[in-house]
Amino acid sequence: MSAYATSPDEQNDRFGSGIAGAILLHALVVAAIIGWAAFNHFHNPTWGESAPQVGSIQASMVSAIPLPTKAPPVKDNVLTPDEVSKAAAPPPKEAAVAPPKDTDVLIKGKTPPVTKVAPAPTEAPPKHPQPVPVTPKANTGEQATQLPHSVTQLKNGTSTVTVQDRAFGNRYAYYLQLVARAVSQNYYPQEVDAQTSEGKSVKLLFDIQRDGTVLNLRIETRSGSSSLDTAALRSIQRIDNFAPLPAGDHLTIEDTFDYHKP
Amino acid sequence: MVTGRQSVVCSGKYAVFTMLFLLLFSAGSAFAQDNPFGQITTDKGAGSLIRIAVANFKPISPDAGLGNYKQTFDTTLFNDLNSAGLFDIVSKDMLPQSTPGFPAELNLTQWSAAPANAAMVAFGNLNLQGNRLVVNGFLDDAHNTQFPQIFAKQYNEEASDDNARQIAHRFADEIIFRLGGGVSGIAETKIYYVKILGPNKEIYEMDYDGANQHAITHLGTVSLSPRVSPDNSRIAFSTLGRDGFQLKMFSLLLNRPVNFNSAGGTNLSPAWSPSGQQLAFSSSRTGDPEIWISDPEGNIAHKITAFRGPDVSPTWNPKTGAQIAWISGRSGLPQLYIMDADGSGITRLTDGGYATSPSWSPNGQFITFAWDRKYGPGAPGGQDIYIMEIASKKWIQLTHDGGRCDFPSWSPDGRHIVYANSPDGKADHTKIMSMLADGTQKKALTGPGADMPNWSWK
Repeated sequence: MSAYATSPDEQNDRFGSGIAGAILLHALVVAAIIGWAAFNHFHNPTWGESAPQVGSIQASMVSAIPLPTKAPPVKDNVLTPDEVSKAAAPPPKEAAVAPPKDTDVLIKGKTPPVTKVAPAPTEAPPKHPQPVPVTPKANTGEQATQLPHSVTQLKNGTSTVTVQDRAFGNRYAYYLQLVARAVSQNYYPQEVDAQTSEGKSVKLLFDIQRDGTVLNLRIETRSGSSSLDTAALRSIQRIDNFAPLPAGDHLTIEDTFDYHKP
Repeated sequence: MVTGRQSVVCSGKYAVFTMLFLLLFSAGSAFAQDNPFGQITTDKGAGSLIRIAVANFKPISPDAGLGNYKQTFDTTLFNDLNSAGLFDIVSKDMLPQSTPGFPAELNLTQWSAAPANAAMVAFGNLNLQGNRLVVNGFLDDAHNTQFPQIFAKQYNEEASDDNARQIAHRFADEIIFRLGGGVSGIAETKIYYVKILGPNKEIYEMDYDGANQHAITHLGTVSLSPRVSPDNSRIAFSTLGRDGFQLKMFSLLLNRPVNFNSAGGTNLSPAWSPSGQQLAFSSSRTGDPEIWISDPEGNIAHKITAFRGPDVSPTWNPKTGAQIAWISGRSGLPQLYIMDADGSGITRLTDGGYATSPSWSPNGQFITFAWDRKYGPGAPGGQDIYIMEIASKKWIQLTHDGGRCDFPSWSPDGRHIVYANSPDGKADHTKIMSMLADGTQKKALTGPGADMPNWSWK
């Protein structure tokens, strides 16, 4: 009861009905929350229930996912026809002026010394039998010339196995391919972070012992992407044994992984 | 959503509710994560196989008997390389007409060009010198014209059809060893199995390709689950006698049973440790079937599991010898578990169904086992062979719709699995099949009436 009320109407400040209304409103809100939660909880499919993989993983044993082929362009599309309307012909090219010859302007001190003898024609270098496949080519260009190497196409890049010992590489080219094959089989492209920038490259060095075991695995040049470095390292670490060396005490292998977005 | 917006508009009083609502709305989608590494790879398919051409070997001496040996040798060598799982073999129809017997007679470009397109060429010659069969085998790299030869081998054995087959096995194993990443071939390995002879079951032995099947035991009773020791000297198996199923030991060197101390109860499914110094088996000598470990004479047996429910079918991790996988019924239906060899660190691998007879891969990475994934009346599917990667518990199914499959066993090279298959589910129709570890190249090794294969360790 309010002490300042002047009339019975005013004395009744409807506290009771107010509090009842508030309680009812709160109860409704709480009921709505619980109802919503229960509805969501029971209605939504539980974990892995109606998914195509029921309580399991899907494992595929293939090396490459057969991606769908690109759809051919729609022929009779009225709105965006393939035939581009003819653009205006470009202005005719100006007649090219012949560049000035060296002899036109005489620059003092720049005249070639007359005494120089033309270099003797060198013999063409002997053709080394290169291991196949040469394609696809890695973009680490500096070693793509002479050293025996074997390039393998990975799902997200290339792996180039190079051997410094040229005599060994030519004599036992098949061994290099075996190494490259084993490495690519044990390389999991999923391990590389998809955010890795295009063209990152990591270079590994390791020694193969006479019995085929790996020693001294280390990173020669980091790529800057730790996941690419780790994936490359693991591809070697997963291999228990390479084939035993056909000759020699040990063999140093340089393996470069170049990352390209799949 | 309407409620949520109202509460935002009304006042800060409902801020807590708003948060709660947002949480509720977002919770539904939180489970829809997919696995980024949903792939187990044991083999990368045909793209990574080495294309190899196997020439028919050239007979040097004009003996009439040499033709039979040559036929046996050529067929065996081709089949060995074909089933190795490493090679893409050039069909014999696509080979060049010439039969090179020596490296000088081999025209490499002929073999590396279409239609053979071979990367490797295996060839050689056979010769009869008196009573000896002399075989020269060569392996050449077809693309390396400068230094083609990879290796050359000479074999000299007493002339017989069996020896011609053995020489082919050894030459094939040498090729596989050189090209297969240092893992020895399996062409010289054996498979031990149970032959069903009416009411009796005896232990038999055969070559890995199903040839040369012959009996090992003649006990006239039911013998089960043969397991050969890592050094190929003994077979442990379980046999039904006066005291029920007891373990028995058979020496392949002495060709007779040797002592194994038995105890009470039912003793089943022996398993050799890779060291050959211990034997794990299931024994109910204390009432409940538990896993026990003893030495190969049956002494110093000790129990390593202690849980209500049957524990059977142990198999050791052949790589480390420190872990045991086994089947336990402690939670109801039999499930696959692993533990350390002292009984600690128990981990359950399967999440349901009915799992039986595990076998651990030689590199320690996988376990193959038979699994009825939806077990019960009217449930779809049946008992099939599965592989599970232990680290991730991911599995793949290797057999489909071929009838009941059980008792898988890894080959020592880890590329093959042998198993028992009954197309119509009847026990006498069970035959032994082998396949590559990715489930391809399934082929029957025996006719009906063979069960429980076990691949030798080397």
